[in-house]
Amino acid sequence: MISIDRLSYSYPDHEDRCLDEVSLSIPAGSFTLIIGPSGSGKSTLLRCINGLVPHFSGGEIAGTVRVLGHDPIALGPRVMSRHVGMVFQSPEAQFVLDRVEDEIAFALEHAGLPREEMRLRVEEVLDLLDLARLRDRELHTLSGGERQRVAIASALALRPAVLALDEPTSQLDPQSAEEVLQALVRLNGDLGLTIVLVEHRVERVLPFADQVIALDDIGGAISGPPRAVLSQVTDSPPVVMVGRAYGWEPLPLSVKEARRFASAVAPTPRPAPPVAPPRSDPAYLEVVGLEAGYGSAPVLTDISLTIWPGEIAVLMGRNGVGKSTLLRCIVGLLRPRRGSVRIAGRSALGRPVAAISREMACLPQESDSLLFADSVADELRSTLHNHGQAEHGQVAELLGQLGMSAMAERYPRDLSVGERQRVALGAITVTRPGGLLLDEPTRGLDYAAKAGLAALLRQWRNAGAAILLVTHDVEFVATVADRVLVLGRGGLVAQGTPQAVLSSSPLFAPQVARLFPGSGWLTAEDALAGRAA
Amino acid sequence: MNPASSPALHPISWVAWLAVAISAITITRNPLYLLLILLALALVAEIERPAGRTRPIDPILFAAFAVTISGLFNAVSVHYGDTVMLRLPASWPLLGGPITLEALAYGMTNGLALGALIAAFAAFGSALPVGALLRLVPRAFYPLAVVVAIAVTYVPLTIRQARQVREAQQLRGHQMRSWRDGLPLLLPLLIGGLERALQLAEALAARGFAAARPPERLRLLLAGGLASAFAGVLLRVAWGQDLVGAALILLGAAMTLAVLYVAGRRTPRTHYRIYRWGRYDALALGGAGLALAALLLPWPARQSLFYVTYPTLRAPPFDPLLATALLGLLAPLLVRLRPRVNAKSKITKGSQ
Repeated sequence: MISIDRLSYSYPDHEDRCLDEVSLSIPAGSFTLIIGPSGSGKSTLLRCINGLVPHFSGGEIAGTVRVLGHDPIALGPRVMSRHVGMVFQSPEAQFVLDRVEDEIAFALEHAGLPREEMRLRVEEVLDLLDLARLRDRELHTLSGGERQRVAIASALALRPAVLALDEPTSQLDPQSAEEVLQALVRLNGDLGLTIVLVEHRVERVLPFADQVIALDDIGGAISGPPRAVLSQVTDSPPVVMVGRAYGWEPLPLSVKEARRFASAVAPTPRPAPPVAPPRSDPAYLEVVGLEAGYGSAPVLTDISLTIWPGEIAVLMGRNGVGKSTLLRCIVGLLRPRRGSVRIAGRSALGRPVAAISREMACLPQESDSLLFADSVADELRSTLHNHGQAEHGQVAELLGQLGMSAMAERYPRDLSVGERQRVALGAITVTRPGGLLLDEPTRGLDYAAKAGLAALLRQWRNAGAAILLVTHDVEFVATVADRVLVLGRGGLVAQGTPQAVLSSSPLFAPQVARLFPGSGWLTAEDALAGRAA
Repeated sequence: MNPASSPALHPISWVAWLAVAISAITITRNPLYLLLILLALALVAEIERPAGRTRPIDPILFAAFAVTISGLFNAVSVHYGDTVMLRLPASWPLLGGPITLEALAYGMTNGLALGALIAAFAAFGSALPVGALLRLVPRAFYPLAVVVAIAVTYVPLTIRQARQVREAQQLRGHQMRSWRDGLPLLLPLLIGGLERALQLAEALAARGFAAARPPERLRLLLAGGLASAFAGVLLRVAWGQDLVGAALILLGAAMTLAVLYVAGRRTPRTHYRIYRWGRYDALALGGAGLALAALLLPWPARQSLFYVTYPTLRAPPFDPLLATALLGLLAPLLVRLRPRVNAKSKITKGSQ
C-alpha cells in the first residue's frame, strides 16, 4: 500500500536531516499511528505521502516513496490528492467556503465531476461523518469537533484510499477530540479506509491502532505492531508504563486489557493524605458569590472559591460550564454581574486589567496571541516596559527558571509548541505576580513538554505562588494538583484532594486509578512506588 | 434536482435586488424615503441572517452613528443655509462661521444614506452563501474568485483572532499610549494571518486545487487584445481618429472577451448546485422592478424624491404611493411564506 525506502529529507536552510534513512511500510486498510516528540518529523513524514514534501516545502529529499504504486515525490500533491486525503491541525485553516455542503463539494467541483456523482458523494460523506443535520450551517457556527469532521468529509469526498491526518485533535477539547477519533475508527472499521494519524493523545488512539511508527529526535524511526514499538519508547501512556514496569506480557495498551493483570496485583494503598485543617492564613484569591454571563445568558451563578499561596488548584468541569468565563472575571476581562473578587486582600472589581495582571498573571488558551517580539528575551522585556518596571536581572533569572537561557535570542515563533508556551508564561510572569491562572495549558503538548510544565508549576508553587489551572487533561491533573475543584452548573459540585475527587470519579479518573480502584494511586509513579513498597 | 439547501432565490435575483436598492439610495435625498428604505433593508438583513451567525454590524446602530457624525461634520464644515443656530468665531480656520440647521440636516441625510447602503450589503451578504457568489463570477476568473471567497470566509475568523490578541496583550499590561503600542496588537494578528494563509495554501494543494496556467498562445492574444483597445483609446483621445480608434477598441474588446471565454472553457469545472428561476424570483424581481419604476418613470410623485435642505429647511414631501412602491424591496421576504417542504421529501422527489 504505502512503502517508504531509505527516505531522507532536510528542510531548506537546515543542515540537519529531519528524516534520516527511514524505511517502513503501511499495509492497506490499517490504522497507523505516528508518535514522537515535538519536532521529530511526524508531520514531515505524513506530508511525504501526498507529495506536499518536497513540492510545497522545498528542501532536499532522497529515497523512494510509493503510495498505491504511485510516486508522490515525482507526481506532486495535485495528482496525489486523488489517492491521499489530508486533514490538518487547525480546522479553520483549511476551509474555502462558508457553508458545510458547499465546502464538501468544493474539491469535487474543482475536479470536474458530473453533478449526479457529486450529489451522491456529498450525501455519502454527510452520512458517514454524521453531518447531515448540519449541512446548511455556516462553518464558523460549528464546534471545533464538528468543523474537523467537515474537514474529514471534504477530504473523503474525493474518495481517497488513504486518509492522512496531522494532529487533527490537538486544538480540540476532549469531547470534540473523542467525536473525531470515533469517526476515524468507524471509517477504518466499516470502510477499510487506510488511516495514517499523527496524534499526541496516544492513550485514546492506541487501542484502535494496528501499527505504530515512532520517530526519534535524530530522524530515525521504528515501526511495527503497537506492543512491539511501545515496549521500546520511553514516552508512553501511563497504562503502558505500568505494564512495562510490572513486566506484563503481552503488553497491555488499554485499561481494559491491563485489568486482568492488575487484578493479580495487591496494591499497597497509598495512605490518604490527612485532611488538611482549614487554613487560617489569608487567601491569595477569594471569589465570593460570583455571577457572570454574556448578553442575556447567565454562565456562572453564585460561584465561590478560595486559592491559597503555595498551592496548585485545578478547576475541572464539562465544556461550557464557565471555567474560562471565571478566569476572565478574575482578571477583569469580563465584568461580573454580582459577587466579589479579591486578590491579595484587595478587591479586583473595577481595577484595570494591567493592574490585576501584575498580581495575578493569566495564560490564555491561545498563548501564541501574546508573542510578537524579535527574541525570547525581548518578549519578557516588553512586559516589563508595559508595566513601567526597570530591568534588573529578572529576565535572565526567569529564563533560567524556564530552562530557556540558551534560547534568549531566538525568534519565539520559530520554537516548538511547548517552548512557545514557556515564552508566553515568561511574558506574563516576569513582573513576579503572586498568583497564576492557566487556561488549558496542556493542549497540543507532548509528554515531555507536559512533564516540563508540571515541574515548573511545582517549582513556583514551592516558592509560594497561588496557582489555579483550568484543564480537561486528567493525567496532567493527577501529576500536578494539590486540590481539585469540579465546576457544575450553578457552582462547585466537588472539591478536595486529587485522590478524593479523581479516584472514584467515572469521568475524571486517570488510567492508573481506573486500573487499581481503591488503591489511591493516580499516576504511573504512584503505581511504581507502590510496587517497590 | 438541486440540493435541498440551495438558496430559495436565484443569485442573479439578489444581484438585481441589490442594484435597485443601491439606485434607490443614491437617487433620493429625501430623509423620509431614506429612513423607509433603511428600515426595509435592515428588516431583510435581519430575517435573512443565517441561524447562529452574529451580526457583523447592526445596520440601524451604524446608521444612528453615521447620522450623528455626518450631521456634526457637515454642520461645522459647511456654513451655508438660512437658519443659523450659532456662530463660531470667523478666525477659526474651516470651522469658523455660521452653524446652520440646513447643513446639519443635509449631513444627517447623507449619514442615513450611508446606513442604508450598509443595510443593503448586509442583507445581500446574509442571503447569499459565498459559494453562490463564486458562481456569479465567469469561469476564466475562477482562481481570482476563490481568493475573494477565502477573504470573505476569513472575516469572522480574523475578527475573533483580533479579539484574542487584544485580550492577551491586555493580560501582559499593554496599554495604548503611542502609535508604537499598536505593534503588539498588529504583529500577532499579521503573523497569525500569514501562518493561516500558508496552512490554507497547503490544504488547498492537498485537495488538488491549483490554478491552471493558460497556454502561451492565449496569453499573447489577451495581451494583443488589451494593447489594441488601449491604442484605440489613444487614437481617439490624442489624435482625433474617432472611427479607426473605435474599430480598434471594438476589436480589442472582442479579442479579450474571446480569450477569457476560451480560457474559461478550458477549466473542467462543474457545478454542485444549479440555480433555476422560480416564481419567487419573479416576485422578488417584480418588487424590485416596481421600486425601480417608481424611481425612474416620469410621474408627478417622482418630484418628491428630490429634496434639498438648502437654502431654507422645510418639511420633506412624502408620497404614500411612491413609498409603497419602494417597499417592493421587501419582496424577497415573500419566499418565507412558501409552504415548508422538508428536505428529505425533496431529495426523494429529485431521485425519482
